[in-house]
Amino acid sequence: MSINPDAVDAAFFDELRKHYSEDEIVELGVFIGFNLGYHTFFGSLNFYPMFSPDGRLVRQSESEKLYGPTPTSLKPEAAV
Amino acid sequence: MTRIAPLPRQAIADPELQALIAEGEALGVPDDLFPRIIARAPDQAVPLLRALLMSHAQGNVDHKLKEIIRILLARFANDRYFASLRSTKARDMGLTEKRIDEGCFAYEDDNKGFSEAEKWALRYADLMFLDAKQLDKTFYDEMKKHWSEAQIMELGAFVAFHYGMQMFIRSLGVAAPAVATNEVIK
Repeated sequence: MSINPDAVDAAFFDELRKHYSEDEIVELGVFIGFNLGYHTFFGSLNFYPMFSPDGRLVRQSESEKLYGPTPTSLKPEAAV
Repeated sequence: MTRIAPLPRQAIADPELQALIAEGEALGVPDDLFPRIIARAPDQAVPLLRALLMSHAQGNVDHKLKEIIRILLARFANDRYFASLRSTKARDMGLTEKRIDEGCFAYEDDNKGFSEAEKWALRYADLMFLDAKQLDKTFYDEMKKHWSEAQIMELGAFVAFHYGMQMFIRSLGVAAPAVATNEVIK
């Protein structure tokens, strides 16, 4: 939906229907749309989690060091 | 034909959802097609539709500017459904198709008369999904010269939410409504 929306075509939906009901597809679609929009917005605000991985409340400067400037899933080493 | 069939209007029994659908129809955005599709996820349809309407028609940012931004985003998303809908409230406030097109395609042109605040809001929407890396500290510092932090959050949330829903509707292959403007996809 985000990277290549043209690929989400009728054939794609036919395949989705083999695994999900139409109601579930709508639920997934609005969830993805909502996250697609908001994560881009949040990303522009440059904020980080309030808590460290071990549950400590940390300042934003420390959180940035802990989590790094790049989303974990986008780091090349995270790719399997 | 949409890839997910909308529910028949009479199948929607929730009075809160019915009221929100009527509110959308009165505003003109959305008509009842979008709500009848998301009504398939009934627990989410009410908060989603309420947020869509609230972020568009309420708040402390000029509704006419938000309407231009909404259409700019829908054109960018290649979403013919939302790009074709028009806010009756914005129209009643004096927003014309000519002004919408100027806001979408020529807001940087000083001859078009957009204020600096309006230009920064339109750049904000343009860049959010065109090149979000440009929305850096320098950009926000400049935004703050023209908009309060509350208004920037209102604009950002509006842009994010509407763009997300437009991309979702685009994926469903929802066509423009029968009564549509002479819509041009950016």
